[in-house]
Amino acid sequence: MSNSLLWTPLAFGVVGLFLPRRAAGWWATAGAAATLGLAIAILAGFDSGGGLQHNVDVEWIPGLGVDYSLGVDGLNVFLLLLTALLWLGGTAFAAFREQERPQLFFLMMLLAETATLGAFLAQDLLLFVLFFDLMLVPFYFLFGAWGTDRPDGVTASAATLKMIVYTLVGSLLMLVGAIATGIIAADGGDLTFSIAELARQPLDEGSQRWIFWFFAVAFLVKMPAFLLHGWLADAYRAAPLPVLAVFSGVLAKVGAYGFLRVVLPLFPDATVEFQEVMLVIALASILYGSAMAFTQTNVRLVAGYSSVAQLGFITAGIFALRADGADGAVLQMVNHGLVVAPLFIIIAVLVERSGSEDLREMGGLAMRAPVLAALFLIVTLATLAMPGSANFVGEFFILNGLFQAKIVYAFVASIGVVMAAFYALRLYQRTMHNRTPEGLVSREIGWRDGVVLVPLVACIVALALYPNLILERTDRSVEATIAAVEGRPSEELARR
Amino acid sequence: MSATAWAWLVLLFPLLGSIVTAVGYRALPARAAGAIGTAAIALSFACGVGALVSLLGDEPEARHHASSLWTYASGGGLHVDLGILVDPLSVFMVLVVTGVSTLIHLYSFGYMRSDQGYHRFFSYLNFFVFSMLLLVLAGNFVLLIVGWAFVGFASYALISFWYRRETATGAGMKAFVINVVGDVGLVLAAFLIFRELGSFDFEQVFHAAPEHFTTNEWTVTAICLLLLVGAFAKSAQLPFHTWLADAMEGPTPVSALIHAATMVTAGVYLIARTHPLFGMAPTAADIAAFVGLATLLVAGTIALVVTDLKRAIAYSTMSQIGYMVVGVSIGAFSAGMFHFMTHSFFKALLFMAAGSIIAAMANDQNIDRMSGFGKAMRFTSAMLLVGGLALAAFPGTSGFFSKDEILAFASERGGMYVIFTVLGYAGALLTAVYTFRLIFRILPGRPNREAQELIETGHVAHGEPVNPVTGEREDTDVGFPGPEHHIAEHSLPMKVAMGVLGILALVGGLIQVPGVSHAITSFLDPVFHDSPLAQVHPSAGSEWAGLAIGAVISLAGIGLAYLLYVARPETPARLIERLRPVHTLLVNKWYFDEAIDALIVRPALATGRFANRTFERFVVDGLVNGTAETVRGAGGVVRLVQSGFVRSYALLLIAGFAGLALYFLVVSS
Amino acid sequence: MSIEWYIVLSSLLFATGAMGILIRRSPVVILLCLELMLNAGNLALIAFSRMVGNQEGQVFALVVMVVAACEVVVGLGLIVAIFRRRLPLDVDELRELRG
Repeated sequence: MSNSLLWTPLAFGVVGLFLPRRAAGWWATAGAAATLGLAIAILAGFDSGGGLQHNVDVEWIPGLGVDYSLGVDGLNVFLLLLTALLWLGGTAFAAFREQERPQLFFLMMLLAETATLGAFLAQDLLLFVLFFDLMLVPFYFLFGAWGTDRPDGVTASAATLKMIVYTLVGSLLMLVGAIATGIIAADGGDLTFSIAELARQPLDEGSQRWIFWFFAVAFLVKMPAFLLHGWLADAYRAAPLPVLAVFSGVLAKVGAYGFLRVVLPLFPDATVEFQEVMLVIALASILYGSAMAFTQTNVRLVAGYSSVAQLGFITAGIFALRADGADGAVLQMVNHGLVVAPLFIIIAVLVERSGSEDLREMGGLAMRAPVLAALFLIVTLATLAMPGSANFVGEFFILNGLFQAKIVYAFVASIGVVMAAFYALRLYQRTMHNRTPEGLVSREIGWRDGVVLVPLVACIVALALYPNLILERTDRSVEATIAAVEGRPSEELARR
Repeated sequence: MSATAWAWLVLLFPLLGSIVTAVGYRALPARAAGAIGTAAIALSFACGVGALVSLLGDEPEARHHASSLWTYASGGGLHVDLGILVDPLSVFMVLVVTGVSTLIHLYSFGYMRSDQGYHRFFSYLNFFVFSMLLLVLAGNFVLLIVGWAFVGFASYALISFWYRRETATGAGMKAFVINVVGDVGLVLAAFLIFRELGSFDFEQVFHAAPEHFTTNEWTVTAICLLLLVGAFAKSAQLPFHTWLADAMEGPTPVSALIHAATMVTAGVYLIARTHPLFGMAPTAADIAAFVGLATLLVAGTIALVVTDLKRAIAYSTMSQIGYMVVGVSIGAFSAGMFHFMTHSFFKALLFMAAGSIIAAMANDQNIDRMSGFGKAMRFTSAMLLVGGLALAAFPGTSGFFSKDEILAFASERGGMYVIFTVLGYAGALLTAVYTFRLIFRILPGRPNREAQELIETGHVAHGEPVNPVTGEREDTDVGFPGPEHHIAEHSLPMKVAMGVLGILALVGGLIQVPGVSHAITSFLDPVFHDSPLAQVHPSAGSEWAGLAIGAVISLAGIGLAYLLYVARPETPARLIERLRPVHTLLVNKWYFDEAIDALIVRPALATGRFANRTFERFVVDGLVNGTAETVRGAGGVVRLVQSGFVRSYALLLIAGFAGLALYFLVVSS
Repeated sequence: MSIEWYIVLSSLLFATGAMGILIRRSPVVILLCLELMLNAGNLALIAFSRMVGNQEGQVFALVVMVVAACEVVVGLGLIVAIFRRRLPLDVDELRELRG
């Protein structure tokens, strides 16, 4: 099952290369739909208490101890579903519109899906690193070749290059870290990169301390976190919007997921040691992202910086190092993906209507488009984690974990909640309400956009009614992950 | 049917009404949407009565029932059910909320008839009622917060209902953000409660609190103070009150429903609901009481000078909620809830009458321009007078009994609580003066242009559609209440709604008259009987003494207003001249807006701008560019070696190998 | 005959080749000198192979010869190409790869 889930998108993408231009988009959408079907099947058969499921474990490079090993557990089952869902939405949205070189575009889309699913599925450290880096390749082309150049001279390829350099530096550090972990753990014996094996016997805390940062930097760049977000502004403005929807919706989560899957189990002592540093980074991301979001005038960047803040919350939840915080973080990863993807699709729709990405040149769009306004309103409220939405439940769990672990951080983080209300509503008001600028023609969304948007919004509403759908399935795995860091620091650390 | 089943139905109807009117915005005719919306709330009220009957069938001690539909969120040690709690307090709130809401829906049915967003209005209004009911029925803190935030959102949506008005959208944003501050306070309080007691469930928390905490322990005080942040933000108490006056940008029925009768009293409900915690933290309760007192005086003074009709009533609302907060904070729970009930009657009525007059004025809200409506609109004027009398606590009206019960309780507690009685009566004087200032401005005198037109032609005057605040022309597509204005005299639904409320405002107080009946106190007693102050009961004699004082003060206030605004109309101007600094302070609403702006809003925006313009460019990009420069510089050094001379490469190679060979020779020997 | 003589001869040949590479500017001569150095290596390999008494050194020498042949083919090809384009046959002039 894991195998078919992983390779279905790519298989469809490759076949799509040989199809005529007009069929490529629909073929790719069918591929994404098939993947979603598989993901749903995995969720349906998921046993919340059953540990790792749908295992695939094949020796891949025996000499180096690298296995091709995949598996599903509570940490990734909903992220897989989210990936499949958002890709279906993004692909369908793109398929409804004219693309240049569509066969190649959709191949890249589907390759990206496979790579992302691979990163979520991988249970072998090197396989994880491989998929993590593979994700970059399709997005490099999607952003660079199908992106838009800015009038102020920043070309799409330059913006993409900046992003690639950032992420590649992180990835290479992570590769070094992964190899070092394997070698130090083997200690002259047989090499293994299986995450479960490595977690059984964590490294000595001296090694943990530096390898932790190699991984952390890679993940923090991906999110992106404060001070490592330099690539965001240019890349977000260059990217094609349907691609950005999946990119922002899913890729950022790979970073947060990496902390839970790799860092906590493998480097528990370092995690505890650097807990406060990570929390400070998380809080800085929350506050800085929010402050940026409420002064930005470019709609993409408002959404982009709001993601920085939201990922800050998720990081804070993970590094509360409590089961409730981490539960909330997992829930919030799904929620944020579900919110930000429709947000970017709505932005695409808005930009088509107003011909500008500047908030100051928008306004009053709700008048002729009540359905769009209603959908956007729901998404906005979910973005600001309105109580009653699943986002609130996620944030509530995160903040509760943080509150019980480090009370001061929770108070500071709650400032971010207020700021979120401000920037999310500001985005909504400035586009949908107030006076309409001269020459702006508002119109309702067509059925094509509706087909993409309505199911996504329906998922938001459904989760709002029953967030326990996710919590009850992830809780066991999260508690197992958190158990790794409980009782730390180990004795040596305590003595020091 | 059990009380909880009724309660679920109470919740269901408004939600269904909201969804049906929203989804059917194209299919349903406008009148049908209004009818559905009104009927949904009426059904909800009926179910509330059902719950009441079912509850009265139980023994007084057994009158609390919890029920849950499904597990809302559970994991990591937290457990939250989608559960409700039905007890006398929640049923009392349900009845008042749904009852008044039904009437206001009926009023809106007529008042909003010509508005473009008729469906949207009823959908929002029904959603608001659903949220408010969720708030009062919630069985745990998480669901309470959900309801709490939902009413905040509904309030936002309705304040900025005419969304082409920038003043309206700005006011909505302000209300929402301040309310989110309150939400955060509640959320943090919930965390602290969970840390101490390990549960979010009301019954478990209140059951465990007395054993777990010692009186005035810092944790329980902190919990109560955080709860108060939520309560004050929602109930527009100092210093979170600034949004309420701006909220008057919304359509008048919204002001009546949300910003007078129901939502803003949620803070009072919260304090009453969590009284077991406040019972353990008397310091926090006293702080709440003093804030309530300060609010009632500050708002009362501002109401003396405001010239905008709706805003004047809004300040009066703040002031009256101050009384309720004082009441529930000093332990006069049932008196506070009683005042909540009567207030929702007469304040809703006042707003309805004001809406009718504003419609007749073609949306001009300036009271200085109004006069002579007593002749032009007899029914509306009568209702305005009834509401005003009740607000001014004229003897025999509903406000008369409820306000004095709070003050009598305060004097019965004695000690420093006498302050509340004394200043409370001072506030009552203010109330009577500012209320009758409005009435004497509007009703008597020579009819102004609009009133004259109404008398002569029987038609409502029409003017340029301008925003009353900024004076700019309205965008009539949506930013204005439609081409026609509706007044009670011409609209039966409005008339019925106002008539019923008028009767309630007059006689509603008779449900609880000292020495005669105490229906509300005995009904609510099962909820509050475990409070340490439950035994404090002012005697009927002292209550009547208080009522006598109240009557004198009320009459004195009305007389003073008559003297100032009718008998000697030149006095106010002279007073303003004499007390110029005080007047400036009041006109500027004690400069709260400016202070908040300077202390919080500006710094936050400046930080954001600094982050955007400076930090991003120099530090974040600087980090990247700095790295790039370093790499380039290092590359420059290495470049020097790449001369292109093949033979120099060969020399380096050979020299290198020779060096290595030499090294090994030295090492081996 | 003792191994030293072979080593000395091999070293001399190697030094000559290296010297030639360093001081001559004609690519043809440099190529020749390279061959000289390679064959000096071969000589040493075969000598040691005889001394140790197994064949592995000889195998290596054969491999080196094959590589040398390839190298000459490529090298001469380059020289002819340069000559055809009428560029100076001087390695100091041909420094397009300067960083």
